[in-house]
Amino acid sequence: MSRLEAKKSSLCKSEPLTSERVRATLCILKGVLTSSYGPSGRLKQVHNGLGGCVLTTSHSSALLSSLPITHPILKILTTSMQNHVSCFSDCGLFTAILCCNLIENLQRTGLTPTTVIKLNQHLLRLCTSYLKSESCGCRILVDFSRPQTLLCLVRSIVTSKPAGMLTREETDHISALVLRAFLLTIPDNAKDRLLLGKSIIVPLKGQRVLDSSVFPGILIEMSEVQLMKILPIKKSDAFKVALFCASLSGDLSDTGEGTVVVSSGVSLENAALEQLLNLGRQLVGDHVDLVMCQKVIHPSLKQFLSMHRVIAVDRVGVALMEPLSKVTGTQPIGSLGSISPSSYGSVKDLCPAKFGFKHFLHLIPNEATICSLLLCSRNDTAWNELKLTCQTALHVLQLTIKEPSVLLGGGCTETHLAAYIRHKTCNEPESILKDDGCTQTELQLITEAFCSALESVAGSLEHDGGEVLTDMKYGHFWSAQAESPSVVNWPDLLSRCGCGLYNSQEELHWSFLKTTRHPFAPQTCLPHEATGSANNLTLDCFTAKLSGLQVAVETANLILDLSCIIEDKN
Amino acid sequence: MAAVGSAKAALQVAEVLETIVSCCVGPEGRQVLCTKPTGEVLISRDGGCLLEALHLEHPIARMVVACVSSHLRKTGDGAKTFIIFLCHLLRGLHTITDKEQDSLISKNIQTHRRHWKNCCQWKFISQALLTFQTQILDYIMDHYLSKHFLSIFSSSTKERTLCRSSLELLLEAYFCGRVGRNNHNFISQLMCNYFFKSMACESGFEEVFDLVDDYFVELNVGVTGLPVSDSRIIAGLVLHRDFSVYCPADGDIRIVIVTETIQPLFSTSGSEFILNSEAQFQTSQFWIMEKTKAIMKHLQSQNVKLLLSSVKQPDLVRYYAGLNGISVVECLSPEEVSLIQRIIGLSPFVLAQASSQYEICNTALVKFCKPLILRSKRYVHLGLISTCSFIPHCIVLCGPVQGLVEQHEDALHGAFKMLRQLFKDLDLNYMIQTSDQNHTSSPPTYKTSRESNPLPEIVNGLIQRPSQGTVVKNKGKLAKTQTYLKVYSNLVVPSVELETCIPYSTPKVTPTDTYQTDETLRCLPPTQTRIIDDHEPFIESNSANSVAENTGIEISYENLQVTKIARKGNMLPVREKSLEMCTSQSYCCSTLPAGCVLPVGGNFEILLHYYLLKHTRKCQQSEETIVSMIIANALLGIPKILYKSKKGKYSFPHIYVRTFHALQTSQPMVSSQTGLESVAGKYQLLTSVLQCLTKILTIDLVINIKRQPQEMYDQDSEEEV
Repeated sequence: MSRLEAKKSSLCKSEPLTSERVRATLCILKGVLTSSYGPSGRLKQVHNGLGGCVLTTSHSSALLSSLPITHPILKILTTSMQNHVSCFSDCGLFTAILCCNLIENLQRTGLTPTTVIKLNQHLLRLCTSYLKSESCGCRILVDFSRPQTLLCLVRSIVTSKPAGMLTREETDHISALVLRAFLLTIPDNAKDRLLLGKSIIVPLKGQRVLDSSVFPGILIEMSEVQLMKILPIKKSDAFKVALFCASLSGDLSDTGEGTVVVSSGVSLENAALEQLLNLGRQLVGDHVDLVMCQKVIHPSLKQFLSMHRVIAVDRVGVALMEPLSKVTGTQPIGSLGSISPSSYGSVKDLCPAKFGFKHFLHLIPNEATICSLLLCSRNDTAWNELKLTCQTALHVLQLTIKEPSVLLGGGCTETHLAAYIRHKTCNEPESILKDDGCTQTELQLITEAFCSALESVAGSLEHDGGEVLTDMKYGHFWSAQAESPSVVNWPDLLSRCGCGLYNSQEELHWSFLKTTRHPFAPQTCLPHEATGSANNLTLDCFTAKLSGLQVAVETANLILDLSCIIEDKN
Repeated sequence: MAAVGSAKAALQVAEVLETIVSCCVGPEGRQVLCTKPTGEVLISRDGGCLLEALHLEHPIARMVVACVSSHLRKTGDGAKTFIIFLCHLLRGLHTITDKEQDSLISKNIQTHRRHWKNCCQWKFISQALLTFQTQILDYIMDHYLSKHFLSIFSSSTKERTLCRSSLELLLEAYFCGRVGRNNHNFISQLMCNYFFKSMACESGFEEVFDLVDDYFVELNVGVTGLPVSDSRIIAGLVLHRDFSVYCPADGDIRIVIVTETIQPLFSTSGSEFILNSEAQFQTSQFWIMEKTKAIMKHLQSQNVKLLLSSVKQPDLVRYYAGLNGISVVECLSPEEVSLIQRIIGLSPFVLAQASSQYEICNTALVKFCKPLILRSKRYVHLGLISTCSFIPHCIVLCGPVQGLVEQHEDALHGAFKMLRQLFKDLDLNYMIQTSDQNHTSSPPTYKTSRESNPLPEIVNGLIQRPSQGTVVKNKGKLAKTQTYLKVYSNLVVPSVELETCIPYSTPKVTPTDTYQTDETLRCLPPTQTRIIDDHEPFIESNSANSVAENTGIEISYENLQVTKIARKGNMLPVREKSLEMCTSQSYCCSTLPAGCVLPVGGNFEILLHYYLLKHTRKCQQSEETIVSMIIANALLGIPKILYKSKKGKYSFPHIYVRTFHALQTSQPMVSSQTGLESVAGKYQLLTSVLQCLTKILTIDLVINIKRQPQEMYDQDSEEEV
């Protein structure tokens, strides 16, 4: 009772968005995020003054989770982005920057939140229906018979994370590895429901990135001494495997709620050990070659097994249990008594392997959808970033297989979409305005705010002070070198658009992204040969970007709708 | 430390609350962000939620919040309107007090100090309020307002069938005030679909509401990180956990529910297991294993494919389950188990049965059982075959942040509460003030009733007895009365109904009585809340009396608790006597049929305002008239706020004048807005606010104590049991 304290009353603030402090912090956050966006984004170093590791990153999930954010509004924004990233892994920075831009632009219009939110919702609906429609000019359907598209997608993701510090050659190598790892997880004979396997990332720090590789099956790390004990492995065409989830350490199981009285002279340890050895005899009798246990194996049992040339591996850990049972086709055994023969599995081959300074036991399956991605990098920070990148890429590939289309990257989708929205609201405002009482001027204002928010996301890809432009035919994104001469000959200065689909030698007209221009209808329906021929496209995940767009607009709506904050000060 | 606690302080408090609450009221309302000390953020437009998040310190504010939350527990709606209405009432009272003073103060007041004089005056007003509530309100509801009511049911035939379009209108109006304005259409559609999908037959909708309201948490799944528009309805039940063992199965799938571990243990609680030899240990382990194996085999032979367990099962059980092709779901919460039991009517499987060879009867069929992956988290998805009128469906609610998902969950839950309330009949009891019992004849009846009826003295005695008991003995008795109060305050509305049948002579007598007890109480050493609540025993005894009077007319479930109190006291015969007296007077009781609705946009308030004015014009009684006027004017506060942002033809004055005109010429009213709201909810809100106001007005002093608050309710309730 003495610790019971009366609660302090809460603090109530009204109209939070108008306060200068909120605007300033929002601006800082936007600055941090914008400067890390894209392949040429700047890295952020996060550390605390008391020591501990230094984080160098430009990845949204790492950045957002390490930033100390206290203001509730920013907290809403960042949690929303983090939730998005944990769902889709990709497009976190895109979503966050778009959301900040939207809040800033829409607030500047000075319209009532009701109007803003209503129209915003309409514009979002326009965007999503356009992106999903057949005629969409920035979406490419993925042809799984040509892995080129998928490779482009992976490469775009790898290059957009500069903190991995990869050279061009390394980027190609990693992209190819990730794609291979993904393809290994696809089962050969899928029935009605495709169940993807798993790629396990195995860390190996201090090696060259080019030493990374992919293996089918599982690599179990063990010390050299342990491995030497196992060796030499006798050769056979298949190894019989038993996988235990129950502890084999000889401890007593749960004895119930009552008391157990043991007479003196009775040694339960011996009894338990005796039981374990019986189990060992059964395993040997069943010609098991490899015994793995999630928990600890009693040393006597281990000794007994190795005497009978059975390999025993313990402390596998719960994380590996599911992949192991998939690779070997075993059922995790929870009994120390009789074991049903149906719960044994097998592997095709077992071999020791040494990569760098680490020793592994490699389980090679007959056929399974599990593979190990051995990821090497020079140091810890770069490795962490590389791991995040690979996880993102693998996840994006999974999402792409569910929804087989990709969006043009490099800012082209954003500018194209903005051009489409501008054109649509300028030419057919009636379709939006018919059901609610908004005026055309209000629609114009909101459209301008919305589109410029999209365009400035694309514009933040350019960090070196260059010019950002858009063409007046496709609505794609172009960026030029910083030191442009005063007399501009654009076709010479620009080479390719952001996604790499078009080059500047076509008859195009450009306009600066920041200036106002006449709305034009961007060319819809991508020509089929264009997508087929181009090899070096920058692509984005469709599902992640679409959801990111929706989440950004919804979060912005939510924040604009806040009328007061009640802060609990307890 | 003591502060003068009365209408003035309450007005200040209410005005502060009003400014906070009015920013999120109605379709134009905005969101409020609440942070918790744990760092979570909550987005809300729910009045009750906001008031609780404020952690108010002011005692009157806390009392108001308590009133609001007890109102919300019953109806699930109306917290914001509550505050606004209360504020307007207090404001109205504040402005008229000066005028009223002369007419109300009675002669023996002059001997007291000014403060107590004020208190007495408030006391009179609160009595008038009570009279209003018991006599005028129900009368007007029944006689005038009821002809404007619409019904949610599609036809006026005996069979009640829900009309989808009017339900949609009702829900849309409800969600307008509860969720963000870009989502209310979507959420109300979702809820409507959910309701019609999970209803097995037209007639069983009440059961569906009850079940969904009770098990709302188990019937929805929140997913963060996805846009709101990804929310959907899934057929079947989704359990918030993953399979421990999953074996794909199709065809004839039977399930069993267990509540204990299947593997027999060495010893159960209270018993002792003696191990004499190592061999014995091994044999018993072997026996355990064989037994487990046999049970699982037996389950398999009964075609059981899924084991639902409320406890964690040992490795051994899971292993044998896997071998026998039985999927296992562990650690189900008691609520989940009882929900499943309620849907499929299956009782848990008892292990003792399993040893024998006969069939297990406690199994049920399911259509499918498979894992469901939502945002890389795995859930168990069961296709239960329902045996009641609820076809299991789950709502998957998506949102970018947890706070928003929670807001939608709360709003949906509130909507089910509101509907549940809507489909109950509402009883109206009131005195008929007709020509045969007019006001000139009332003083004589008052006198006779006082003479013939010892009730007032008893009431007085009842109040004095516990208070003296407090001095002499201990806090026990005091605590007892306070539990009664607690019971009472939870049941605000039913007790209103009950009080309505008290002959109105009783309230007339009591002001002086209670006032005297006031005096006696102040002489006592002040124990914590004693004085704050000093008026309460009186009201309490009133309602207790009325229960007894009422027994022949209507018994609601709340009566159980109140009659328990009555049984304790020794005044039962007296009450029976008063019952006879009561029935001899002319008094009326009617019912507001279930499913009554009115168009939104302050229609109820304007109508009630209109008829109250009309009614007061006919009466001469001064106190009640003044109170009615105050209430009628305060009612307009709500539509004023709703139409604040509208301009021109749709501004409040225009609407008001148009409605008035329509009513005077008895033309149909035209509403500018689509959407419906529940009449019962509005009525209950009104009575709750009046209750709360009465409570506030009868407080004369707030005493601030430094001591720790003591838990006295608990001990007492044990004693009562």
